[in-house]
Amino acid sequence: MSSEATANAEEHAHDDHGHHGPKWLAHHFDTPAQQFDAAKLGMWVFLAQELLFFSGLFVAYGVYRSWYPEMFVAASHQLDKIMGGTNTIVLLFSSFTAAMAVRSSQLGKQKATGNYILITIFCACVFLVIKYFEYTHKFHAGLLPGRFFHPHAEHLVAGAPALPANTGSFFSIYFMMTGVHGVHVVIGIGVLIWIWIRNNRGEFSKEFFTPVDIVALYWHLVDLVWIYLFPLLYLI
Amino acid sequence: MASQTSLHPHKDDGAVHAHISSSAFYVAVFMALIALTVLTVGQSYVDLGRLNLIVVILIATTKASLVVSFFMHLRYDNKFNALIFISCIFFIGVFFAYTMNDTERRGELDGDQNVRVLPKTGEDAPGGFVPHAASSGGEHGAAPTGSGAAPAHH
Amino acid sequence: MAAITTTPGAHHDDVDPNASFLEKKGLMSWLVTLDHKRIGIMYLISVTIAFLLGGIFALLVRAELLTQGKTLMDADTYNKMFSLHGVVMVFLFIIPSIPAAMGNIILPIQLGAKDVAFPKLNLLSLYIYWFGACFGLYSMINGGVDTGWTFYTPYSSSDPAHGGVGTATSVIPMTLAAFIMGFSSILTGVNFIATVHKMRAPGLTWRRLTLFTWALYATSIIQVLATPVLAITLLLLTMERFLGLGIFDPRLGGDPVLYQHFFWFYSHPAVYIMIVPGMGVVSDILASFSRREPVGYMAIAASSLGLALLGFLVWGHHLFVAGMSEYATMVFSALTFLVAIPSGVKVFNWVATLYKGSISLQSPMLWALSFIFLFTIGGLTGLFLGMLAVDVHLHDTYFVVAHFHYVMVGGTVMGFVGGLHYWWPKFTGKMYEESWARVGWFFVFIGFNVTFIAQFIMGSRGMPRRYYDYLPQYEIFHQVSTFGSWILGFGFLVLMVMFIRSLMNGKPAPRNPWGSAALEWQTPTPPPTFNFVKDPVLTRGQYDYQLATDDELYEGFDDPLFPGLRGGKAPVKKAAAEGDHG
Repeated sequence: MSSEATANAEEHAHDDHGHHGPKWLAHHFDTPAQQFDAAKLGMWVFLAQELLFFSGLFVAYGVYRSWYPEMFVAASHQLDKIMGGTNTIVLLFSSFTAAMAVRSSQLGKQKATGNYILITIFCACVFLVIKYFEYTHKFHAGLLPGRFFHPHAEHLVAGAPALPANTGSFFSIYFMMTGVHGVHVVIGIGVLIWIWIRNNRGEFSKEFFTPVDIVALYWHLVDLVWIYLFPLLYLI
Repeated sequence: MASQTSLHPHKDDGAVHAHISSSAFYVAVFMALIALTVLTVGQSYVDLGRLNLIVVILIATTKASLVVSFFMHLRYDNKFNALIFISCIFFIGVFFAYTMNDTERRGELDGDQNVRVLPKTGEDAPGGFVPHAASSGGEHGAAPTGSGAAPAHH
Repeated sequence: MAAITTTPGAHHDDVDPNASFLEKKGLMSWLVTLDHKRIGIMYLISVTIAFLLGGIFALLVRAELLTQGKTLMDADTYNKMFSLHGVVMVFLFIIPSIPAAMGNIILPIQLGAKDVAFPKLNLLSLYIYWFGACFGLYSMINGGVDTGWTFYTPYSSSDPAHGGVGTATSVIPMTLAAFIMGFSSILTGVNFIATVHKMRAPGLTWRRLTLFTWALYATSIIQVLATPVLAITLLLLTMERFLGLGIFDPRLGGDPVLYQHFFWFYSHPAVYIMIVPGMGVVSDILASFSRREPVGYMAIAASSLGLALLGFLVWGHHLFVAGMSEYATMVFSALTFLVAIPSGVKVFNWVATLYKGSISLQSPMLWALSFIFLFTIGGLTGLFLGMLAVDVHLHDTYFVVAHFHYVMVGGTVMGFVGGLHYWWPKFTGKMYEESWARVGWFFVFIGFNVTFIAQFIMGSRGMPRRYYDYLPQYEIFHQVSTFGSWILGFGFLVLMVMFIRSLMNGKPAPRNPWGSAALEWQTPTPPPTFNFVKDPVLTRGQYDYQLATDDELYEGFDDPLFPGLRGGKAPVKKAAAEGDHG
C-alpha cells in the first residue's frame, strides 16, 4: 500500500479520539508539544524581525557617529547618565521578574506568577515615568530632532562641550531610538496585562504556560534593545 | 539548576518538556547583569580612546548573551531557535558592513576619476561648473551644517 | 478515501469537518473565519482588485505616452499615475499575491495540515493588509503621490509646508500604508515558517515537500528578515517629513544615499519575495504536466534558499550612479552576478524536467512555459544592469523598466496566473473553459512581449524612464509599446470573464483534474474545512509518479489530448483498488 490517500486510514485511526483532550489545545495541533514548539518557533522568528526593525536605527546611528564623532560626544553629555542607568536597572529587574513569572508558571504557581507579572508591569511603568522626565527636560532645553533643534543655553548641562550646529541629527536618532523602544514598552505593558488577566482566570498550568513564556520573550527583547541603547546613547 | 530536560519535542508522549532553572540561578544572572551595568557606567568616566566603543559593545554583548541564554532560555531551547537568532544577527551584520563600506569610503576615488564636484566637501573642484547664482541662496543657504549632501569627514 | 475522520476541535464544534469549506454562507462566516483557505480567497479577491487598479494606472500611463507632448493628462497627473501604478502593484498586489493569497490556500494542504500554525494571526495579517490598503486609498483620494514607488528622499521627505523643497502630494498616508502592509507580510512569513516546521503530516519529510512549499519557505525568511527594515525606513521617512528629522534630507544634515541603502536593503530582497513563489508555482506545474519528479529536486529547493540569502547581499546595485563609494559598487556588482547561479540552476532543471517528460500543454503549463521563457530574458538582462560600466548607460532608462517587468510580469504574474489556473478547480470546485483560457494566455503573452520588447530597444537607445515627454526618435517605440499594452489588457479581460463564467456555471471539478501526484490533489474538491477527510500519512514523495496508484492520479482525470482514454479507465481501476482493500 503505497498511497497516502489510503495509507492514512488505518495507521492513525486510533489517534482520532485520543489527542484532543485539553481545552487549551487548538484543533489543528496534534500534541501539546507541537503547539508549544510552534509557538516558541513563531515567537523567535517574530523576535528576529523585531531586531531587524531596530537594526535600521542602529545602522543610522553607526553611520552618523562615524561621520560626526565629536558631535556625538558633545550631544551625549546632555543626556543624564543617572536617569539612564536607573532605567537600565529597572528594566533588568523587570526582565528578571518576567523570567521568574515564567518559572512560577512552569511550576504551576498561579499566585506567584500573577505577582511577578504585576512587578514587571510596575517596573515598565517606572521606566516610562523616568523616560517622561528625561523627555521633558530635552523639550525644555530645546534638544529636539532635526528642524526643531534650538538649544537653550540656560537649560544645558554646565561645563559640557559646545553643541555643533548639526547636533539635531543626534537628537533625531536619540528620539527615534528611545521613542520606538518606548512604544515597545507600552505594547509590552499591554500584553503583560493581558497575560495577568488570563493568569487570574486560571488559564495556565504546568502543562500550558505558553502565552506567559512568549510574552516574557517579548519583554526580554525590549530589555535586550535597551541594553545596547543605554551605553550607545548615554555613555559615549 | 533544577531539571535539565531539554525542550526538544518528544513525539512519543507529546507533552511539553521545558527547562526550569532555579530561583537562585535567576538571581545570580540578575546580579551579574547589575554588576556589568555598574561596570559600563564606571568605564564611561575613563577615556580609553578608540577602545571606548569596543569595550562598551563587549560589555553590552555580554549582558545581552546572559539575557538571551538564560532569561530567554535559548541555552536550553530548540537548536533551531538559536539558529534563527544567530542568523538574524548575521543579517544585521551584513546591513551594517555593506552600508558602512559605502559611507566610510565615499568619494575616496573622486580625485583619481577627475570628478568635478567633490562630494566629500561639496566644493567645486578646479575647472568645475560655475554655481548658479539663484540656486545658491535658496537651495543650499538653509542647510544648517553647510556641508551639502555628503557629510565632511573629521 | 472511505473512512471518516472525527477530529472536532475545541473551537470548531459547529463545523462538519467533512463538508466543503465553501459550504457555510454569509458575509460574517467569511470575515471571522480562521480557515486558511477562506482567508486565502479573501486575499485573492483583494489582490485581484489591486491588480485591476494597478493595471488601469498602467494603461493610463501607456496611453499618455502614445504621442509626444500631452495626450491625455498633464505632467503632474502623469507622475502620479506611474507612482500609483508602482505602489499599488508592488505593495498591494505582487507582494501578497502568491504567498498570502495562493500560499494560504495551498500551503497547509500540501503539508497535510489542518491549518496554518497560527490561524488567528493569519486572519490578523489579512485585516492589517486591509487596514494598510485603506491608508493607500485615502492617499489616492487625496491626490496620490508623485514620488515613484521608491519614495526617494529628499523629494518625498522635504515637505513644502515646512519650507522644504520636495513634493506636496499625499506622501505620509502612502508611506504609512506601505508601513502597515509590511506587518501583514511579516506576520504571514512568521506563520508560514512555523507552519512548514511544525505542521507537516507524518511521513512528510523535508525532502518530500513540494517545491512550492520550499519556495514559500524561502520567501517567508525574506519577508521576516527584510520587511522590518522597510518598516523602520518608512517610519524614518514619515517622521522626517513630519518632524524634519534630518537623517535623509541634506538640507538638515542628512544623507539621501543612506535612504537608498535602507530602502533597497528591503526592496531588493523584496523582488525575491515576488519572484521566488512564482518559481515555486512553476516547479509544481511543470512536475504535474510533465508527469515526473522535477530534475534536480534538491537543487531547485536549495536555489530558492540561495536566492533568499543572495537577495540580501546585492542591494547596492540600485545605487551604482547614486554617488556611492566606488569600492562598494565593485563589491555589489560582483555579488550581483552570483544571483545568476541559483536562477540558472532553476531554469536548467526546469528545462531538463521537460526533457522526455510526458508533457500535456494545458493552460497552466502554457503559463509555466511562458514563465521560463520570459524570466530567462528578464534574468539575463539583469546581468547587463549588474555590470558597472553598462549600468551607467542603462540606469534609469526604459531598459530597466523592461527588465523589471520581464521579471515581475513575465515571472511573477505568469506564475500567479498559472497557479490560479492550476489550483482554481481545487479551491473553487469548478472547471473553466480551456479554450478561452488559451485565448487569454495568447493575448497576454503576445501583448506583454510587444509592450516590453519595444521598451528594451528604446531604453538601450537612451530613453529615460518616468519622463512625460520624449524626442521624436522614440515615438515609434512608445506607440508599439502602448499598442502592446492594449493587447495585454485585453488578454487579462478575457481571463477575467473566463474565471467569472467558471464561477457562475463551470462544470464541477473532479478531485484530480490534472493527474498530479501531489498531496493537494488527493483530497476532495473543494477540500473540507480541515483539508482532509483523514489525517494524511505520506508513504511516498509528492512527485513520486512511479509510486502513485492509478486511482490517485487518474480519478476523474481526462487528458485533453486523448479524450476518453483515461476518463473511462479510472472508475474501473478505482473499483479494483477498493476491492483489494475490502
